[in-house]
Amino acid sequence: MKFKADEIASVLQKEIEDFKGQLATSEVGQVLEVGDGIARCYGLSTAMAGEMVEFPNGVNGLVFNLEESSVGVIILGDYLEIAEGDEVKTTGRLLSVPVGEALIGRVVDPLGNPLDGKGPIMTKERRPVEAIAPGVAERQPVKQPLQTGIKAIDAMTPIGRGQRELIIGDRKTGKTAVALDTILNQKGGDVICIYVACGQRASATAGVVEVLREHGALDYSIVVSATASDPAPLQYVAPYAGAAMAEHFMWQGKHTLVIYDDLSKQAQAYRQLSLLMRRPPGREAYPGDVFYCHSRLLERACKLNSQLGGGSMTALPIIETLEGEVSAYIPTNVISITDGQIYLEPSLFFSGVRPAINVGISVSRVGGNAQTKAMKRVAGSLRLDLAAFRELEAFAQLGTELDKATQRQLDRGYRMVELLKQPQYEPRAVADQVIAIFAGTQGYFDKVAIKDVARAEKDLMEFMKDRKSAIRNTIADTGALDDATMAELRTALEEFAKAWADSHELVEAK
Amino acid sequence: MADQSPQKSLVTSVMENPSSLAVARTYSDALLNAAGAAGGPGADAVLEELGSFVDDVLAKLPDLKDVFFSRVIGREEKIRLIDQVIAPRGTPIVTSFLRVLVRHDRLELVPLILREARLRQEIRSGKQRVQIKTALPLSDQAKDQLRKRLAESLPFDPILETQVDPSLIGGIVIRVADTVYDSSLATRVAQLRERIRQRSLHEIQSGRDRFSSAEGN
Repeated sequence: MKFKADEIASVLQKEIEDFKGQLATSEVGQVLEVGDGIARCYGLSTAMAGEMVEFPNGVNGLVFNLEESSVGVIILGDYLEIAEGDEVKTTGRLLSVPVGEALIGRVVDPLGNPLDGKGPIMTKERRPVEAIAPGVAERQPVKQPLQTGIKAIDAMTPIGRGQRELIIGDRKTGKTAVALDTILNQKGGDVICIYVACGQRASATAGVVEVLREHGALDYSIVVSATASDPAPLQYVAPYAGAAMAEHFMWQGKHTLVIYDDLSKQAQAYRQLSLLMRRPPGREAYPGDVFYCHSRLLERACKLNSQLGGGSMTALPIIETLEGEVSAYIPTNVISITDGQIYLEPSLFFSGVRPAINVGISVSRVGGNAQTKAMKRVAGSLRLDLAAFRELEAFAQLGTELDKATQRQLDRGYRMVELLKQPQYEPRAVADQVIAIFAGTQGYFDKVAIKDVARAEKDLMEFMKDRKSAIRNTIADTGALDDATMAELRTALEEFAKAWADSHELVEAK
Repeated sequence: MADQSPQKSLVTSVMENPSSLAVARTYSDALLNAAGAAGGPGADAVLEELGSFVDDVLAKLPDLKDVFFSRVIGREEKIRLIDQVIAPRGTPIVTSFLRVLVRHDRLELVPLILREARLRQEIRSGKQRVQIKTALPLSDQAKDQLRKRLAESLPFDPILETQVDPSLIGGIVIRVADTVYDSSLATRVAQLRERIRQRSLHEIQSGRDRFSSAEGN
């Protein structure tokens, strides 16, 4: 391709001829002091809270504090170039980000500037970063499932579209892995995923982008990245920017999933800004409105009613705890805002139970309504059974002689735990999950040695897919498990158990 | 008052703390009210006297200034000093104003109060400062013309504070309080540049074929 120089020149010439200089009128002030992502300005007498202001080098700021004789501004960009005495201009606009289809597959910063070197983002649409959450009349109850592809979650803490489910746990317990698997499981579906990295290591975010690319998940995902080296204002704004991008699709009647990874870092960035702005510190030095900071963000996740297109925005906020301390300030805040939490425990993680979900204290407050009928039927009592198993297990460790029934219950428990383990990046379809859990709870794996459960499950999946695809398809298509199908499933499972018994070593019955 | 008076009406440094400015404003209002009250000497006379205290006494006798502004010297001693040095030569209103400042430990605000009081007095008499920035120095005639035009369009009588800034290239920048009317050549060039950039980007992205020849060579 070759450019025609005279064509370009004529466009430019026309532009210059048509140009009429406008008198630029602006409201200005002076920078009194700058530091660590904030500036204090004098003047700006008409500035409004949340308004964007412009510094001489083109960097934008956000009016944060309005005081009697000065204005506190958070700087969204490089604050090292701003000096005392610089002129600040008001713009009369609110902070907004580009939104739309053009963003899908891209990695952007919280202001919507591309970070992936794939050229400019061609979209005309923008949305304000801060938006009021839809009201009561605009919503409808959560009733459609959002499949995470993780057996333990879909069976026991199901998530619905429009729900806010917290993922909480210590560092290195697989929080991001759960979120990532959920994104990967949306492949081929109708959910647009937005991953907001807030205060993460740049290498970790690069790793996430790489995983998404490898698994082809970037085709329906947006990554908003504010790494640990970005200034605190950008880390603070990032989740709101991600929410705005998701809202655009939600109001078009589409389904979205937003992952905020993680909100404890965002709270810390907000604490830094508030302290620099001399807002009074409260508990753990967080400002008084840190609750509002999270509640107004998570409240934007919702399921719109059908008149408005029925779009949804599901939020999976992530919170990192210290030494399992869930009763710290930020974790309790976010637990109280969300519709349930998935609690990941280091001890489980290191004993090989991965995902390391603590079933006992993980809950989903609204997702049960959204669970598919088949899953509800097979997993209904799973939570309680596992809780009973944990109790028994502790008791059994005392070394007392156990009666047969108790021993059987224990054996099945061990196998269920084994069955709920799942390798990373291998999300499962609902039908497969239903079959596996049904087989486990009905005792078809009882004869399999514990170490072989994973292999047996894999073989079962293949068996069902190759030989009994009719049953699998019925479950997948109807989402229900009626009595007829269940009877067919039982015969299929018996057939499989027999085949397995012929070719593998079994544990002998005690 | 002179056009190019040395005093500035804008805060430009963190050292000029906006909160002490607010305090200075309160004191200057009080001083002007007292001076303008019936039986008072009138605001202009008081301002002149206070100005003379700042310019002729504090500026020329740094030692005395140190004594007055020091926190080590007690209030009683400062008041005695004022009684001995200032009272015999000054009017009662300025002397008592200084005493009030000493009693509140705010004597170091005097230069700031003076500046604020002058600006307040100007506003009270229907005048206000307008900052003018041009690329070349303005002739007196041009200044007069500008003042007249501004007086017509502004609700007050403007006092011009002119400033020369060659980086504007041409045109004029007028600042009234916090509002800036910018018609300088530098700003227009920047506007044009931004528009051409936006337009070209748009054209290139929306119709890449337009700029390329059909033969494709």
